[in-house]
Amino acid sequence: MAKIDIHVNILRYQPDSDEKPHWQEFAISVDDDSTILDVLNEIHWKHDGTLAYRRSCRSSICGSCAMKVNGRNVLACETPIHRFGRKFKIEPLSGFQIIKDLVVDLDPFFEKLKRIKPFLIVDKPLPDKEFVQTPEQLEQIGESTLCILCAACSAACPSSWPNSEYLGPAALLKAYRFVFDSRDDCADDRLEIVNDKNGVWRCHTIFNCMEACPKKIKITEYLSRLKLKVVENSL
Amino acid sequence: MEKNFKQTSRSGAVAWLLQRISAVILFILLLFHFITYHFLTRTHAVEYRQVLERAQSWWFPLLQFAFLITALYHGLNGVWSVLEDYLSSRGWRLAWFSLLLTVGLALLFVGTLTIIKLYTLKVA
Repeated sequence: MAKIDIHVNILRYQPDSDEKPHWQEFAISVDDDSTILDVLNEIHWKHDGTLAYRRSCRSSICGSCAMKVNGRNVLACETPIHRFGRKFKIEPLSGFQIIKDLVVDLDPFFEKLKRIKPFLIVDKPLPDKEFVQTPEQLEQIGESTLCILCAACSAACPSSWPNSEYLGPAALLKAYRFVFDSRDDCADDRLEIVNDKNGVWRCHTIFNCMEACPKKIKITEYLSRLKLKVVENSL
Repeated sequence: MEKNFKQTSRSGAVAWLLQRISAVILFILLLFHFITYHFLTRTHAVEYRQVLERAQSWWFPLLQFAFLITALYHGLNGVWSVLEDYLSSRGWRLAWFSLLLTVGLALLFVGTLTIIKLYTLKVA
C-alpha cells in the first residue's frame, strides 16, 4: 500500500459565516486504495475538523454518505479514489438545501417517501407463520427491495430539480415495491397517490436515476411498469 | 371508475398513453414512408414524376395527413410535458400552452396546404 498525493476541492458552506457555498482545496497524502470517505475522514481528522459530512456504516448499506464526486452521485464509502485520479471535486447532492458543507436537508425526501405509505398493509387474515411467496411473486418486486434510501437517484433526476413537489424516483420506486408485492393489500391507494401530475407522470424516462443508483437498481424500468399499472387500473 | 378516469386525464396518464400510441404510429408511418419513397422505386434513382404520381394516388394524402397529425401531437405533447416541469404559475402555463397551440395549428395549416397542393398539382 503506497501513499499518493491528491488535491481535493470540496464545496464548503458554513451557515454561520458563509453567505453562499464556495470551493476549498485540500492537498493531502492518502493510501492509494482509499475511498472517498477515507479522504473525507483524513481531512476531517487531521486537517480541518469543521468539515461536515454524513457517514455511518462504511459498507454501502445505510445510504448516509451519498454525495457528488466530479459531477457523479456516489456513495463515498464504496467509491475508490482511483476512479477519479489525483485531482477531483466533492459536492453535496443537488436539489436539496445545504445544511452545512456536504450535509443536505433530506426532510423533504423522507416526507415524500411517507406519502406513498412505505410499509406493508395487510387486510387479509394473517398467516400462522410467515407469508409464503412464490419465486415468480418475488421476482415481480425483485431488486426494487434493495433501495437503501441514499437519495442519489432523486438528486440526479432533472425533473426533481425545478419541481420540489415531484415525488421523485426513490418514493416512486418504493410505491412500485409495495404495489407489486403479493402480500400487500393497499395497491389501489398507492396507485391513486402516484397517479398525480407531480407523481409518476413527471418521470420522463431520462435514466439519470439508474445511472446514479449505487445499488444498480433498474429504477426507470420499474417506474415504467408502475405507469402501465396506473393506466391499466384507471382507464 | 368515473372518478378514476377523471383523475387520470388530469394527472397526465392519458397524455402519457397517447404519447406511446403516437410513437408506435409514427414508427410505422416512418417505416412506410422510407420504404415507399426510397426502396419501391421503379427506376435506379427517385424521380420527380414518380414522386408526384405517388403523391396523387388516393391513399397518399390520407397517410400524409395521419403522419402530420401524429407528428404534431407527439412533438408538441413532448415539449409540453417537459415545460410542465418548469412552469408552476398558472399564467405562464396558459401563455406557453397558447403558444404551443398556435404553433401546432399554424404547422397543421401549412402541412395540410402542402399535402393538398401535391395532390392537385398537374403532372407535366
